[in-house]
Amino acid sequence: MATKQEISVTVNGVSYQREVEVRMTLADFLRHELGLGGTHVGCEHGICGACNILIDGKAMRSCLQLAVQVDGAQITTVEGLRNLETGELHPVQQAFIEEHGLQCGFCTPGFMMSTLELLGENPNPSDEEIKHAIGGNLCRCTGYENILRSIRLAATRV
Amino acid sequence: MAIEIPKSPEELPTTSPRFVGKNVNRIEDPGLVAGTTEFIDNFSLPGMLHCAILRSPHAHARVVKVNADAAAQLPGVEAVLTGEDIKRWCNPATTSPEGWGTYPMAVDKVLFVGEPVAAVAASSRYVAEDALELIEVEYETLPVVKDAREGLKPDSPVLFEQHESNVIHDRTHIWGDVDKVFAEADHVIQEKFRWNRCGANPMETFGCVCQWDVIQDNLTCHGSYQTPGFIGLGRSASLNLPSNKIKVVSHPHGGSFGGKGGPRGTDIASLLSRKANGKPVKYIEDRMEYLTAGGGQSWDRYYDASIAVKADGTVTGFKVDLLDDQGAGAEGYGTISVAKPLAAFTGCYRIEAAKYSLKLVATNRAPTYPYRGYGPPPHNFVLESLMDKAARSLQIDVAEIRRLNYIRPDQFPYTIPSGNEYDSGNYEAVLDKVLDMADYKKMREEQAKAQAEGRLVGIGVASTVEPGVFDWNAYATVGVPGVGVPEGVKVSIDILGNITVTVGFSLEGQGQYTLAVQIVADYFGVEMDAVRVAYAATDVAPPHFGPGGSRLGVALSGAILGACKKIEEKFRIVAAGLMQCEPEHMELMDGLMRIKGVPGAEMPIAAVAGAMLARSDLLPPGMEPCPEATYVWTAPGRNEPDDQGRCKSYLTAANATHVVLVEVDRDTGFTDILQYFIVDDCGTRLNPSTVEGQLQGGVAQGVGAALYEEYVYSDDAQPLASTFMDYLLPTVSEVPITEKGEVVTPSPFTPLGAKGCGEGAIHTTPAVIVCAINDALSPLGVQVRETPASPNRVWNLIQQAQQ
Ligand code: FES
Ligand code: FES
Repeated sequence: MATKQEISVTVNGVSYQREVEVRMTLADFLRHELGLGGTHVGCEHGICGACNILIDGKAMRSCLQLAVQVDGAQITTVEGLRNLETGELHPVQQAFIEEHGLQCGFCTPGFMMSTLELLGENPNPSDEEIKHAIGGNLCRCTGYENILRSIRLAATRV
Repeated sequence: MAIEIPKSPEELPTTSPRFVGKNVNRIEDPGLVAGTTEFIDNFSLPGMLHCAILRSPHAHARVVKVNADAAAQLPGVEAVLTGEDIKRWCNPATTSPEGWGTYPMAVDKVLFVGEPVAAVAASSRYVAEDALELIEVEYETLPVVKDAREGLKPDSPVLFEQHESNVIHDRTHIWGDVDKVFAEADHVIQEKFRWNRCGANPMETFGCVCQWDVIQDNLTCHGSYQTPGFIGLGRSASLNLPSNKIKVVSHPHGGSFGGKGGPRGTDIASLLSRKANGKPVKYIEDRMEYLTAGGGQSWDRYYDASIAVKADGTVTGFKVDLLDDQGAGAEGYGTISVAKPLAAFTGCYRIEAAKYSLKLVATNRAPTYPYRGYGPPPHNFVLESLMDKAARSLQIDVAEIRRLNYIRPDQFPYTIPSGNEYDSGNYEAVLDKVLDMADYKKMREEQAKAQAEGRLVGIGVASTVEPGVFDWNAYATVGVPGVGVPEGVKVSIDILGNITVTVGFSLEGQGQYTLAVQIVADYFGVEMDAVRVAYAATDVAPPHFGPGGSRLGVALSGAILGACKKIEEKFRIVAAGLMQCEPEHMELMDGLMRIKGVPGAEMPIAAVAGAMLARSDLLPPGMEPCPEATYVWTAPGRNEPDDQGRCKSYLTAANATHVVLVEVDRDTGFTDILQYFIVDDCGTRLNPSTVEGQLQGGVAQGVGAALYEEYVYSDDAQPLASTFMDYLLPTVSEVPITEKGEVVTPSPFTPLGAKGCGEGAIHTTPAVIVCAINDALSPLGVQVRETPASPNRVWNLIQQAQQ
């Protein structure tokens, strides 16, 4: 059960080598081993998308993978968005603030990860494409309207 | 000293408000988008253990034996808690009516699937869950009460054996001469309804970190608590500690909507800490625990209701017979949700007499908890459905029958038969505006065309009142004592003129910290970033309650304005001394203390605060050098209920009318929302984008309740919706983008004229969607009377019609 395995991953540009229990989820690894608590866990069964992160540029559920599965991967979490040199927020983060795309903010990191993946592939998405991209993210507070606006605004700036 | 609270933004000491009433960015947001906000699972303490809870697989069973020896031996396990410990250390929940409370963990019987039977604290959650597998529990299963109707039968098994039946509460309220108005009615419109269980499901489940100081017998609980002071009082009762020995620290939480639960988890984690010799214990509820046994199930109801109608469409009476399935006890204040409709029983209408018969029944489903809106959303669905049925049988337009019955603007303040007083409103203006936005006439024409093509297209119009600023007296009828719900803040100005507002509640999503800063910044003429909001735990916070019952925006505004006013009074005296005039000649305006009518004779508030703190030689004799003030606000004029439960309870009555256009797919029963319009009136809008956010969020939850969300139980009371695969929350594809408009009728009774609006659209959305579906189905002669109007249910109705 408690077998351990060594992995190396790059998270937000920093490389880590860690021994992890093979059964540890990636979400738990990021949150509790690396102290990156901005990736949230809403269901642990792959529906809510709060735990979305970018693995090699793709938005993925960190609750549905084990840490050992990402050995060698490049990961981005919400902590990696802000510009560390200037202290400025990422345009996607800024857009969510300006368009009131969050209330409690628990789902927000996951939405922003889906947004980053979308805008990486399609800088000028239609509403239908935005809806498709965040179709796997649940928000219980906002009713999505302002999230759509946020992503539209972000698309003009990224 | 009587403190006058400004009743409108114009009364603030500023030439023109720069922040109040404006769409300012929220101060909460940078931390939230950066991922640095400290939600409870991001918090830890040195030496912290992790809790996992073993839960009952049976809905009703005697617990014969719990053997946890092997679990206790597992390396990493530091404490195991069973019913024996609970019996020794704990009391049953006091949030239920006397005699209907349960312990946080089963002590001899389990009453629902998911009820805790044992718990473990270990070095990690993984190890704690391993340990659960080593616990052996022997059960002797008992016959099950699967729902409220079964629970009422004379031969039904009884859950709480000290009682003879499962009926928790049985009462009839009569307001006015209801028999007479029904006898004199030209039409009596009657119908049965079924509202199935749905509930809050905030994206973050409940979590806590509890530490029992075994030397001092103090308890500290960190957690995602909506109402921290209240949780502390509850723990005092359940854990046998004086209330001042419990400190509750609320962390920012990922939504709540009333359904965060928490008492059981807190008690269990606290007692595990006690057993583990005072090490802190973290418990993070997982989503399956939340769905089966958390605070997320509400409103499991059977209604039989009728209205009395005159030939011209005037509605004169309303009778409601409610059978409410409370689940296994009423620990989550389940009883309150049936009492809340008293605050707006007859909705927007001048209905003169009413009757409300209640039966609350215990069953082997999970206990019910509050959910946004509390009781009115199902109640409104019943009333609005009856209004539509009346309109149809009298052949009056559904919008017009409502207009005909509205309380008129000159009738406010208006006392409804169930006793509450509505503060203000202009329902017809709201209706006109929304009909205009929707181009209602054209919508009806389009509908007629679509119907001619055989399409099932329908329009819903629903009007509701949202009671705001809750007061405990509303719930005295179900045994909850109290009049008044105080909310306190402290405002402090430091020696450099920077301002801190100290509050007793944490972030939850409604932007209340931003509101606090808006008001203070306008009051003292400073920038918003010169004001900081600090959270104070229960041991040092002023009296507080927190968000709930659409109260916090109003209550917080009152508290802040009161505190600011008290500081202004002190500054007047200090500045008058410094400027050598009489205090009554001083005034505060745009951040300056100035001598009235003497241009240029002024000093900034920072200088006054600085002088107060640094120059005792310049202070008037006897003046306390304290540029800060605490003020506790409560709704004025609330009173105790009479023998029929009538009282002035909720302070404000917001109003909304929604118009929606839907199309039902004949082949699948699926409802597509084509257009959605809202006009609402919640008085002064202190931060309009926050108000719109609350509305749109309420629409999403209302869509879920109307069309998708349901806690399904099997015939042996097994929960069948225990993941998000079965409990369907609306996604971006299901929630309509609504077009919104506003009418502003300020409240004459509240700070700045604002009304409670946090629960908003969920009062109206389920009703209006079902009304629209029924309009679509009416050519087929079938009607939906059960929620959610899921594709499956609607398809079955269509099949029935075609047979
Ligand atoms: S927590 Fe991973 S999808 Fe919900
Ligand atoms: S903002 Fe609360 S869940 Fe999305």
